[in-house]
Amino acid sequence: MSGQARALVESMPNEIATEAPSLSFDEAFLLHHRAVFRTARSVVRDSALAEDVTQEVFLRLYRHIDSTPGDELLRAWLLRVTLNVARNTLRGQSRSMTRDNEYHKSNNENGSWFAAAPDEDYERRLAIEEARRALDKIKEPMRSCLLLKQQGLSYREIASTLSLKETNIGSLVARARKEFARVYGKIGGK
Amino acid sequence: MRECLDEGVLQSYFDEELSTELRKDVASHLTQCSKCAAAATELESENLMLASALAPEFDLPVPTERLRQRVDAAIAGVELVGSTARQSAPSRSWIEAFAALFKFAPQRAFGYAGLAAVLAFASIFAIVKLRNPEVSAPGEIVETFANNRPPEETPIEASPSGPRGDDSTKASDTQPPEPQPTHRPVQPVKRRSGQSAVAREVRLLPGERSYLKTIAALDESIKANPDSPMRPALQAEYERNLALVDRALAAARTAAKGNPNDPVAAEFMFAAYQSKVDLLNTVADARMYNRR
Repeated sequence: MSGQARALVESMPNEIATEAPSLSFDEAFLLHHRAVFRTARSVVRDSALAEDVTQEVFLRLYRHIDSTPGDELLRAWLLRVTLNVARNTLRGQSRSMTRDNEYHKSNNENGSWFAAAPDEDYERRLAIEEARRALDKIKEPMRSCLLLKQQGLSYREIASTLSLKETNIGSLVARARKEFARVYGKIGGK
Repeated sequence: MRECLDEGVLQSYFDEELSTELRKDVASHLTQCSKCAAAATELESENLMLASALAPEFDLPVPTERLRQRVDAAIAGVELVGSTARQSAPSRSWIEAFAALFKFAPQRAFGYAGLAAVLAFASIFAIVKLRNPEVSAPGEIVETFANNRPPEETPIEASPSGPRGDDSTKASDTQPPEPQPTHRPVQPVKRRSGQSAVAREVRLLPGERSYLKTIAALDESIKANPDSPMRPALQAEYERNLALVDRALAAARTAAKGNPNDPVAAEFMFAAYQSKVDLLNTVADARMYNRR
């Protein structure tokens, strides 16, 4: 960050009034790192990459802690940043597939995904792959609505994260759910 | 609520996103409408399916510890970069001090402007001299510099170099240990010795006075040769240049007087004086060569 940008950020607390009493950085991390990590993983589909994304997201929170929305919409802010960073990461990754494969390889060797027994590991992996394939069939922004809803976000938070109208979220979630059930049932889920 | 429920409203009902009032309406409608009740059952089963389908991925462990360490390390890195950027500032101070020489400050700017102007004029006069038909070849110029200097010195003795000689002896009187008075007759050396005297003493007045005398003498010598008038174009250029140097000199002098304790300002003032002396010298020399 250049000196000017730093000065700008440092001067922000005086100028931007936060509506809600904002969390400290540590509190924000404790509360939201799971949602950030899971959302990142649902996009990049790789734990190591999801860690990269999570690190970047919280680094941005650290830099702009004073200009982020207060408590209420902080999670939405974080997840919006998460989706952006994750999609950019994915774009960078697809440009170099070899690197992507190496990531997966090293990831499997480290066993960072599953600490459980190999059999369970395999079954679980299959289940995850099935769900992912079904999710792939759902169009945006319905898929993101569904995933964020499953993470426990309110309609208001979802609307804020995806820059949608709050009144549309219900039907978007409903259509995504139906589509998922249809595709997932076809693929052979229970 | 009579008409059947919109899928979005039903979804909102199960997601507990409806207002209390609307929730009651939906609940009462579900008890009456079998179609909507069926849709609600389907929704619930699909929700279960969705939850169980996504569970394997959602239940994957989140590496909280590692994430915390990575974020902390990244923040520490950012802080480190920021602080080194801040800390390295003093260590670069000498570079900045050097760079400050080239920054815009009024007194310095005028000083540099004066120097630049004089360099430009000197080169212009040099070109004019080279093109002058009376000086046929550059080799001859060197020759005149090398050999013809003493005989030339005599005709001007009355005007430019004579008073200047007096003046620089006076300057050396004010600064007693002037080591090389024997070099006086040779003009360039004389000029340099005058400047070194100025550089050695930063006080304004003595050095300034000697410059003023030199300038007066040179000016007089230029004007005192009416028998060989300058070419009109040359005259105009000379006057324009002189005006420019004078302006720079005036600015430098006000700056120096305004900051009597600033050696840089004084230096620039003297540089401006030297510029004027150089200009006058160039003109005097050019006129002399033309006359010959």
